[in-house]
Amino acid sequence: MKKIKVSKQRKQLKSTTRQCLIIAAPSLIAQFIFGWLPFCAAFIVGFQKFYLFKPCVFVGLNNFKSFFYHNPMTLIIFRNTFYYAFLSIALTFIIPIIIAILLMEMKKSVIRVMMLLWFIPVASMAGIIIWKYFYNVNYGLFNGILASLGLPLLRWLNDPHLAMLCLVLPGLVMYGPGLIYIASLQSIPEELYEAAELEGAKFWQKVWHITLPRLRPIIAMMMLLAIIGKLQIFNEPYVMTGGGPSYATYTVVMHIFSTAFQSMQFGKATALSLILFVIIMILIIIQRRYFKENIDV
Amino acid sequence: MPLIAKVGKKGFRVRSLVIGISVILWLGIALHLFPVWWMFTTSIKSARETFVFPPSFWPKETTFVAYKLFFTLGSIVWEQLNYPVYVYFKNSCIITFGTMIIQIPITALGAYSISKLSPPRLGRFLFLFLIGTMMIPAEAALIPKFLLVKHFPFPTMSIPKVPFANTSFPTYDFVNSYWAVILPGIYSAFNFILFKGFFDGIPDELINAARLDGASEMGIFRRIVLPVSKPVFAVVAYFTFSSVWNSFMWPLIVLKKNNLWPMSLMLYWFQTFIMERPPQGYSPEVQHLLQSGIGFSGLMAMSIIESIPVFIMFIIFREQLMTGIRLRGFK
Repeated sequence: MKKIKVSKQRKQLKSTTRQCLIIAAPSLIAQFIFGWLPFCAAFIVGFQKFYLFKPCVFVGLNNFKSFFYHNPMTLIIFRNTFYYAFLSIALTFIIPIIIAILLMEMKKSVIRVMMLLWFIPVASMAGIIIWKYFYNVNYGLFNGILASLGLPLLRWLNDPHLAMLCLVLPGLVMYGPGLIYIASLQSIPEELYEAAELEGAKFWQKVWHITLPRLRPIIAMMMLLAIIGKLQIFNEPYVMTGGGPSYATYTVVMHIFSTAFQSMQFGKATALSLILFVIIMILIIIQRRYFKENIDV
Repeated sequence: MPLIAKVGKKGFRVRSLVIGISVILWLGIALHLFPVWWMFTTSIKSARETFVFPPSFWPKETTFVAYKLFFTLGSIVWEQLNYPVYVYFKNSCIITFGTMIIQIPITALGAYSISKLSPPRLGRFLFLFLIGTMMIPAEAALIPKFLLVKHFPFPTMSIPKVPFANTSFPTYDFVNSYWAVILPGIYSAFNFILFKGFFDGIPDELINAARLDGASEMGIFRRIVLPVSKPVFAVVAYFTFSSVWNSFMWPLIVLKKNNLWPMSLMLYWFQTFIMERPPQGYSPEVQHLLQSGIGFSGLMAMSIIESIPVFIMFIIFREQLMTGIRLRGFK
């Protein structure tokens, strides 16, 4: 009797497993072909040299070496990329968090109106272009303001020392109060704040001792995603400056792009992208080790 | 309003705190909306006024002539953009809605299967398989991905030979077709996490009860899971829409023919045309075009048109976006 039951259960389990695989099949196949296959192939392509009219050949580590020996561009692109990532995370990462915390203090009806206004979206290319127009030396808004104040005009995107800062500044304004922060703020139990208030905690003490520790796992995750994203910056410099002036905003991914699709050196470009990949992975490991996701430690 | 003290609500300190916070927030909103407002006022300025320095805050004469470019630009500009703008708008729509229609069902079914049907150990493996690529930066696989759509299904530079024959394997070239943009987006690990987080919250009893009644797994998904998971579908639909609509680098790589370009690429070429040449250098023909509306006003008008669909999608999914987000960490 028992045996029959067990075998029936097993049969049931087997059929659910089959069902599971059938239903998941499209996503598994798609993930295999467009997710894992290109990633694994990168480790082959990175060690090859591309020829247009004959089969490509393995060249060992030559692609990687070419970035380390007598190549001043390597230093430039990595310096620019890290500078951009540092600058934009230092200046803009914290703003959506502050806004989300402050927003929760408003009345429900005010929150609705504010969020509606905050989320009036601009397509990303349109956002880049309006800022490029602001920075325009001859007809832009910023030089217009400087001129009407009687200050000396700046060259903004054409100034090598200012160009990178100009790429970061839009981030101070073009953001929303992170929906993810708001969602996790709402999940903090109200009793914690009430208890703190009974103990006589002030505004900042509540933020510091209750809100921020509860937000920490989300902040850690968003920081991780921000680092990954910022190190791969492409659109803003490509559209606003094209890498100039004198390579002041030329980033790693822009170099990958032009190596691959303008000079047709696919092997070299893949090698460079693998170098960036390794750097990002090291940063992720460091970040995960030192910013634990557990709240209640 | 948990942070502001409830005791002494009428007190001066608490009052000034509330006022201070709302001033900061309204200031932030004003700064946030300023570029949009500037875009709009510039788009209704006459072409000549956009070349006045310093720029005026409100147009002296308003004209909507720049929006006419939606039907005529391209045919009158220059070789890079010889199609009217609505063609690029249509391309954006095809690519974006094509990706949404294919991606959302595939990802949702995958997430449902891992969340509710899989045995523990296999499920764990499949879960890692399905989200693993999210932690890998996209550029790492950029070139093999291009090679993959160039000669599908081989992501390598040269195509392998058929054994014992002197020919290569047959391949298919997706470059210069909408599929080159749609296919790499048919599954999304990020949306998978959103779906799975939501499906995990649906009680198992509900599904087991339906299973005892003899419903098929697809039937359960359609009749029980779908009706309760509208919020997560809305969130995913909005995220997918805005990410594909805003994509720039990938279309730049795989779409070489200019009749296939989406709006973002068209705007890119349009702005290089407007911004990278000083107007003094324009020939008489181009001066004439500038007067007919091309110029910064035209550029801003096209930017507004590119932003409108994002705004419409936001209005449609507003309710769910504001309440329905539930993202679980990586567990």
